Amino acid sequence: MFDMSLGEDLSLIQDQVRHFSTRVLHERHREFEERHEVPESVVAEFAALGLAGLELPETLGGAGLGALAKVLVLEELGAGDPGAALALDGLGAALYPLAELGGPAAIETYAVPLLDKPAARALLVWGDSERPGGNRKPLCGAHTCDGTIPWVPAQHADRVVVLDREGAAVLDSGFRFTPLKGSGLRAAGAAQLDFIDAPIRERWQDREGAARALARWQLHTAALMVGLMRTAAETSREYAMQRVAFGKPIAHHQALAFLIADMRSAVDATRILVQEAAWRADRGLPFTGAAATAFVEAVEASMFVTPNALQIFGGQGFMQDLPLEKYMREARTLGLLAGGVDLARDIAGTEVTTSSDGFALSPILAEES
Amino acid sequence: MDFSIDAATAHRLAAFDRLGREQMRPLGLEADRLGRPTPPDHPYFQTLIGMGFGRTRWRPSRGERSRGEESSDKVGNSRATLLLSEQLSYWDRGVAVSAPGPGLGEGAIISMGTEDQKQRYLTPFINPDKPRWGAFAMTEPAAGSDVAGIQTRAIRDGNDWVLIGNKSFSGNSSRADFILVWATVDPSLGRAGHRAFLVEHGMPGLQDFHIERKMGLKAYESTSFRLEECRVPGANLLGGEAHYEKRAGFKGAMDTFNSTRPMVAAMAVGIGRSALDEAIAFARAEGMTDDPRIRDRLERAARKLRAARLLSLKAAWLADHRQPNIVEASMSKALAPTAAFEAASLGMELLGLAGARGDHLIEKLFRDVKAMDIVEGTGQIQRVVMARKLVDLPQS
Ligand SMILES: Cc1cc2nc3c(=O)[nH]c(=O)nc-3n(C[C@H](O)[C@H](O)[C@H](O)COP(=O)(O)OP(=O)(O)OC[C@H]3O[C@@H](n4cnc5c(N)ncnc54)[C@H](O)[C@@H]3O)c2cc1C
Repeated sequence: MFDMSLGEDLSLIQDQVRHFSTRVLHERHREFEERHEVPESVVAEFAALGLAGLELPETLGGAGLGALAKVLVLEELGAGDPGAALALDGLGAALYPLAELGGPAAIETYAVPLLDKPAARALLVWGDSERPGGNRKPLCGAHTCDGTIPWVPAQHADRVVVLDREGAAVLDSGFRFTPLKGSGLRAAGAAQLDFIDAPIRERWQDREGAARALARWQLHTAALMVGLMRTAAETSREYAMQRVAFGKPIAHHQALAFLIADMRSAVDATRILVQEAAWRADRGLPFTGAAATAFVEAVEASMFVTPNALQIFGGQGFMQDLPLEKYMREARTLGLLAGGVDLARDIAGTEVTTSSDGFALSPILAEES
Repeated sequence: MDFSIDAATAHRLAAFDRLGREQMRPLGLEADRLGRPTPPDHPYFQTLIGMGFGRTRWRPSRGERSRGEESSDKVGNSRATLLLSEQLSYWDRGVAVSAPGPGLGEGAIISMGTEDQKQRYLTPFINPDKPRWGAFAMTEPAAGSDVAGIQTRAIRDGNDWVLIGNKSFSGNSSRADFILVWATVDPSLGRAGHRAFLVEHGMPGLQDFHIERKMGLKAYESTSFRLEECRVPGANLLGGEAHYEKRAGFKGAMDTFNSTRPMVAAMAVGIGRSALDEAIAFARAEGMTDDPRIRDRLERAARKLRAARLLSLKAAWLADHRQPNIVEASMSKALAPTAAFEAASLGMELLGLAGARGDHLIEKLFRDVKAMDIVEGTGQIQRVVMARKLVDLPQS
C-alpha cells in the first residue's frame, strides 16, 4: 500500500549525499563554475562515497540499487550543484542505453572499465535533431556518426553514447570537443561536440529499449532539477522572512506568502512524480509515460520556481554575488537535455491519449498477486 | 517506498465502479436535470445501507481506554479511504456527498465528544436501520473562511443553552438526525469563545430550512437554516464544559495533522479524472488526438491530476503515521481543485459549441468542480495555512 518511507538503507545514503553536497558542492559551486570543472580532490571525495556503481547489478560489482535510490541521490547532488553532479557521476546517464539496449554484456564492456578511472567520463547525447516543424536528421547512420551537437555539459569524454528513437550507438573516437563558455552547468564543462565520420563501435536497434533509456535519462535530469528547485525555493523562503519592506517581512505580504507556498508545492509535486516514475521502473512496470510526465513537470516547475526565487531577492537576485541567477540559468539548461521538453510532451501525451483503460492515467497500480 | 494499492483496496474500488456506473452517475445526471437533491426516501439510499455504507467508524469502547485516546502505534489507513472517496467522486461527487452517514461532524464527535454523546449520536450509525444523516454547520452569512468571526450566539440559561443565529450551506442538514452547530459565547473572544452543539432535528427553534439552488453538485442538499432561540440541553454541548476549560476552542485538534483536506483533494481529483476521461474519449472519437496542440493540453491536465493525486496520498500517509502534515494536506487541497477545473474546462474547449448545449457530462462536471476550491478551506486559505508554517505568516 502507498508508503512514502524510505527505509534505513536509502535514508542513510540520502543523509550521506546531503552532507557531502551541502558541505562541498554548495560551498564551492562558484569556484567550479569558474574553472569549468570540479577539482580532483572533490572527485576523489565523491568517489569515496562509493556511489559510482549505485545502479549497476551486483554481479558486475555494483550496488544493485534501482532508479529510486538514484533519483534520491541526484536530488541531493542537484541541491548542491547540478553541474558538479554531472561532472562527478562519470558514467552518468550514458549507463542507461548500455543497460537497456546492450544488456549486461554492454555494461561490462563499456561501463565497468570507466568506473576504475576516477576522472573518466562517458557522455550521453540525443542524436535525433528533429525539431517541431523542422526536418529530421539523425546524427548516426549504420556505421558512422556525422554532425554537430551545439552544446554538451562536458569538456571531454572517454566514450560517447548517442541515443535516438531507433536505438543507440557507442563511440570511442572521431568526435571533437570545442570549449565554450556555456550558459549553465559549467562545472561539468561546456563544449560544442563535432562528429566527423566517427566510427560506431557498436550499435543497437531497438525502439522500446531506446524509449526506456530516454525515460531513465529524463528521470536523471528531472531529479537534478528537483534538488536545484528545492535549494532555490528554500533560499528565497528564508530570505523573505528576513527582508523587511513596508513595515513587515516581505514574506508576510500575501502576494509573496502565496507565491512561496506555490513554489513549495511545485517542488513537492515534481519530486513525487519523479519518485513514482522511478518506483515504476524498479518494479518492472511501464514507466516511459510516467518519466516523461515527471520531466515535463520538472521543466515547467523549475521555470516557475527559479525565476521567482530570484525575484524575491529583488535587484540582488540579479547579481552574481548571490547564487539565484545561477539557479535560474542552470534550471533552464537542464531542461534542454534528454531530448528536450517537447519530446517528453509527445511521449507523455501519446500515452495519455492512446491508453485503452480510463484508469490507466492512474499512477497507482494494484498489487499484482 | 511503495506506490501501489493493496489487493483489498483494489477489490473494493472495483466494486465501487459498478455502483458508480449503474447508480451514482445516472442519479447525479437526474438530479442535475431536475435541479433538486435526491430525496431522502429514494431507494438508492436504502441500497447503500444494504451495502454497508452510511456507518460510523466509531465503536463503543470496551474497557478502560479513555475518550479521544486512540492507540498511537496503530497505523491508520486513510489512504484507502481517500482512494475510495476519489473513486466515488469520479462517478458523481454530488451523489457521493448525499450518502447517508454521520457526516463532517463525525471526527469532532469522536475526538471531542463525551462517551454519552458518542453513545447517543453515533450508536444509531453503527448498524443503521434506515438511511440516517448527520450534518455540520460552521459557515454563516457573514463568516466562512474567517471562522473566528461566527456570530451565532450560545447563551447559557440554567441547564440549557439557547442558540441564536443563521447558518449557511450546511450539507444534508434538513434531513439530518443531528447537526453539529458551532456558536460563540462571546464573539470578541474569537475561537476561544467557540462551542459546538449537537442540535437534533425537531428541536424547537431549529427552523427555516432553505435548500440552496446551486450551480452544480445538485444531488445533495446544501441548506441554510435559522436558530431562533433554539433551546439545547446542557448535555448536548460537545465535549461538555470541561473540554472548553482545558482547551481554547477546537484549534488544538487541527494543528498537527489533518485528514479531511487530502480527502477533499482526492474528491477533486476524482471529478477531474472523470472530465479528463470524457475529454479523451471525445477527442479520440473526433480524431483530434494527433494534433499536438490538443495532445499537449491533455497531457498537462493528466499530469496535474497525477501530481495532485500523489500529493493527497502523501498527506494521508503522513496522517496515517501521525506525522505533521499541515503543509502537505493544504498543498494537495490547493492543487487538486485547480487541476480538476483545468481538465473540465479543457473538456469544454474540445467539445466546442457542443459543450454549450448544456447536456454533456463534461459540462456538468465543469459546474460541479468549482465548489472544490471553496469547500473545506478555499484555495487562498490553503495558501494562508501553508504560509503560516512556511514563513510564520501572522494569523491576521
Ligand atoms: C457546495 C458547498 C457546500 C458547503 N457545505 C458546507 C457545510 O456542510 N458546512 C459548512 O459549515 N459550510 C459549508 N460550505 C461553506 C464553505 O465552507 C464556505 O463557503 C467557505 O469556507 C468560504 O467561506 P465564505 O463563503 O464565507 O467566503 P469568504 O470567507 O467570505 O471568502 C470570500 C473570498 O475571499 C477569500 N479570502 C478570505 N479570507 C482570505 C484571506 N485571509 N486571504 C486571502 N483571501 C481570502 C476567499 O478565498 C474567497 O475567495 C459549503 C460551501 C459550498 C459551496
